[in-house]
Amino acid sequence: MRVMGVGGGAREHAIAWKLSLSDHKPEIFWVAENRNPGIDKICKVNQGELRTGRTTDPKTIVRSARGWGVDMVVVGPEEPGFHGIPDALEKEGIQCIGASQDLSIIERSKVDLRRLQWENNLPGKLLFRTFKNAREASDYIRKNIDRQPWLQNIVIKPARQSGGKGVKLIEDRLAYLHDDKARFKEAYFDSLQSSMAAYSDIEDKILVEEKAWGPEYSLQCFTDGKTVLGTPLVQDNKSAHEVDSGPETGGMGSISGPDLALPFITSEEYDKSLKIVEGIVEAIQKKTGKSYHGMVGGQMMLTENEGPTIIEMYSRLGDPEALNMLAMLKTDIIDIFQAIVERRLSKLKLEFTNEDAVVVKVVAPNGYPEKKDKAKGHSVQVFETNIKRNGCYLFWGNADLQENGEVVTGGSRLLALMAMDHTLPPASARIEKTASSIQLTDGWGLYHRSDIGSEQLIAKRRDSAEQVRRLYKYREERGTLGKRMEWVPKVGRVDPSQLLLKEMYGPEKA
Amino acid sequence: MPGLVGFYTFGEGRENWDASHFIRYGLSALQGRGQESVSLAAIGPGGTLHTLGGKGGVEEFFRNNKTSIPKGFVGIGQTSSYSDDHLVHVKAPYELVLALDGKTDLHEYRDEATKLFARQLSQLLHSEKEPLKATSMLINKIGGGYSFIALTHKQELISGRNPLGVKPLETGSVGFDIAAVASETCALDVMGIDHTGPVEIGEVIMFTPEDIRGNAPASDAGNFCSYEYVYLARLDSKVNTLPVARVRNNIGRELARAHPAKADVVVGVPETAFPIANGYSQESGLPQELGFVRTGENIRAALEPTQKERLVGVQLKLNPVKSAIEGKDVVLVDDSVVRGNTLRNTVLNLKRNGAKQIHVRIGSPSLISPCPYGVEIPSRDELVSSSLNEKELANHVGADSISFLTVEELQHAIGLPKQSLCMRCFENGGAAR
Repeated sequence: MRVMGVGGGAREHAIAWKLSLSDHKPEIFWVAENRNPGIDKICKVNQGELRTGRTTDPKTIVRSARGWGVDMVVVGPEEPGFHGIPDALEKEGIQCIGASQDLSIIERSKVDLRRLQWENNLPGKLLFRTFKNAREASDYIRKNIDRQPWLQNIVIKPARQSGGKGVKLIEDRLAYLHDDKARFKEAYFDSLQSSMAAYSDIEDKILVEEKAWGPEYSLQCFTDGKTVLGTPLVQDNKSAHEVDSGPETGGMGSISGPDLALPFITSEEYDKSLKIVEGIVEAIQKKTGKSYHGMVGGQMMLTENEGPTIIEMYSRLGDPEALNMLAMLKTDIIDIFQAIVERRLSKLKLEFTNEDAVVVKVVAPNGYPEKKDKAKGHSVQVFETNIKRNGCYLFWGNADLQENGEVVTGGSRLLALMAMDHTLPPASARIEKTASSIQLTDGWGLYHRSDIGSEQLIAKRRDSAEQVRRLYKYREERGTLGKRMEWVPKVGRVDPSQLLLKEMYGPEKA
Repeated sequence: MPGLVGFYTFGEGRENWDASHFIRYGLSALQGRGQESVSLAAIGPGGTLHTLGGKGGVEEFFRNNKTSIPKGFVGIGQTSSYSDDHLVHVKAPYELVLALDGKTDLHEYRDEATKLFARQLSQLLHSEKEPLKATSMLINKIGGGYSFIALTHKQELISGRNPLGVKPLETGSVGFDIAAVASETCALDVMGIDHTGPVEIGEVIMFTPEDIRGNAPASDAGNFCSYEYVYLARLDSKVNTLPVARVRNNIGRELARAHPAKADVVVGVPETAFPIANGYSQESGLPQELGFVRTGENIRAALEPTQKERLVGVQLKLNPVKSAIEGKDVVLVDDSVVRGNTLRNTVLNLKRNGAKQIHVRIGSPSLISPCPYGVEIPSRDELVSSSLNEKELANHVGADSISFLTVEELQHAIGLPKQSLCMRCFENGGAAR
């Protein structure tokens, strides 16, 4: 059997690793933008090869898949899905694990995701508004902030994926700092407007969402369109530096285990989260008429208004969350992929280890994420024996293997170290022992977060989960979960959800 | 003694933050550490370090300098109990401004010692390749007890706490955009920034446009200032992860257990002693009464520079509530006794308003030595407890009894091992380590 993978990050290295462990002994081929040293090696050992090329170009991918005569393609990252790679492959009769272009809209367009939730009255949603331009956004907030106080504490997002534009979380709770926060909001609206101007395919370019607070976690699932199978919860850490400080990254490391839920999420919350993801899959299939087969994930948060809530959706596995899940997975991955393409996932029972917790820590060059040009082009040295001695695994990320055998940083997250143990803190400690095994030969610094998987950080998450749980349980008991109600002097009762529906769909829908 | 704030921003749009606005409120929260002078430095996209200093409190400073406040998206500030205490600006070889709480051992005088430290830091940052390592070396080499925040012309914000760890320093962050450092957690709260933990002893945390870096903290237990818990820190702060409010309540309870008094009511001297009086009342079962009403702004009378200002401060904040104490035996609780004049004034005032017996209970041991690390505890000849014993002091202030917490009792109330607490002001000798 021949399998081809697409994508060159740590997530794809982990998928390749899992494929190489399959009893089906597949020959492994790959297309990636970078020559990922880990994937390159796995391909060579398994009678295949890695070819570099544009992973968002359907022609390149189809040509490679045909040329190698592969039986199945696994798409790792989201971008190829956005560009219709699965659609192109299936048109050629090649089986593909990955959300098709229409379905991947749940990740590509954060606006479409929210609309889908509200149109179908699905649980786990957040209040939102969309705007055509910065002026409209600023005016709306200024005019409505008294009547709709949720507009004080907001998340500003580009309405669609756009050249590295990030999200801004702005809490405007302190009246004496209101002018500062308002100015920052408006400046970011302007900046989004200019960077989104190029996209004519969407009308609304700026998304504003209610800012929730609480512990975050990812629920990754396999689906064949009929059945959605959940996997162990994983928590990623988005801030670049210790104690959750510093700029937003793609994820600096993640924890999971030892069972399906995390130490701060209950099994009831797990079940609710799975229902929410199932709801999204069902709704998007209904809307597009397409069948979803591949991976899907909810980036969730426990919130006081809703309990488990969707922050964003993945139309693929998370990076680095995939590493945790795949490390815990006991079922043969080819069996899963075959069950997906044959639409018989309901017959498959996924098995995961329940003895081990998994910690993943990302190692990045200094400069990431703010000054990627400085982080790029450094030669990497790895002392593998030390990593193995401590029972850790290395997954290459944004690294490029050169002709001369040298590995060079690409400027983004270089690699991920993974360790398993009975609980999280000893797994974290193993990685700490090996982190110095990776160095840049020119002396440029590398960093990682030592606190991921530590007792203190888990305690912090647990505290925040308990606080939020108390609040949403209170709402649950009173029957106000998922409802938002304000009382505004001289106006009276205001229901922001009704206002949202009215403004989006007209009075009859509300 | 200064209160310090450092404000840092990341990411796209950082030029839209005005550090001075946040620092203003952070410093306001730290005025308990001093309100005789304020200074501020900021750096923005232009890369020029702007600084400004002035006498008086935070609000006054910002009101008087509306047009000349340094602007930028990164900044540091301090509010100090010394009227001529300003950020040290070193222009060469490596331009930086420095705010330092405590005292280094580079010079006999605090301000000179701070200047010398700033110059050495500038020198090292210039000559060493790795600024984090350089700063870490420096704080391990230079003794004393201090915490500091420095801002360089390269938009680096360097914060640190020397291995003795006498002086507090806390970190915080919010969203992906803002990080901050401050003497106390209350300043972070007021700036709307989540507390993320203390700067550990011997730790240097450095914020640069590229990243946040830290060295490994010192492994020793530290030597935390116990007077922070008694008086200096604000009630809503955490110091070395302990909530000050809980420690002060413990102090009151310990005081009630070890130094009981036969009385009708417990009255605390505003405002630091309120939570101590509260603890005393809870433990003893005696009701707590609010015995005084303040006139005007909250003033830290003990930190006022002259005797007259201190007395004015005390008299303005201590107008007795006659009905609360008239005809009653009173336990009068205060946090500490420095010169004794204010206590004398207070006791006399209560007696004139009809209190019968007054039993003074102090939530700390007798202050008998000046602080080697820059807290304004005056020289020994100004410390009433260094020459009068408890009975003599009771007679001097006109109280029926007076007793102090012992060093052991204070340590017990704080709940940290004795070796990790600095108690030099309560002990004879009192020399710096």
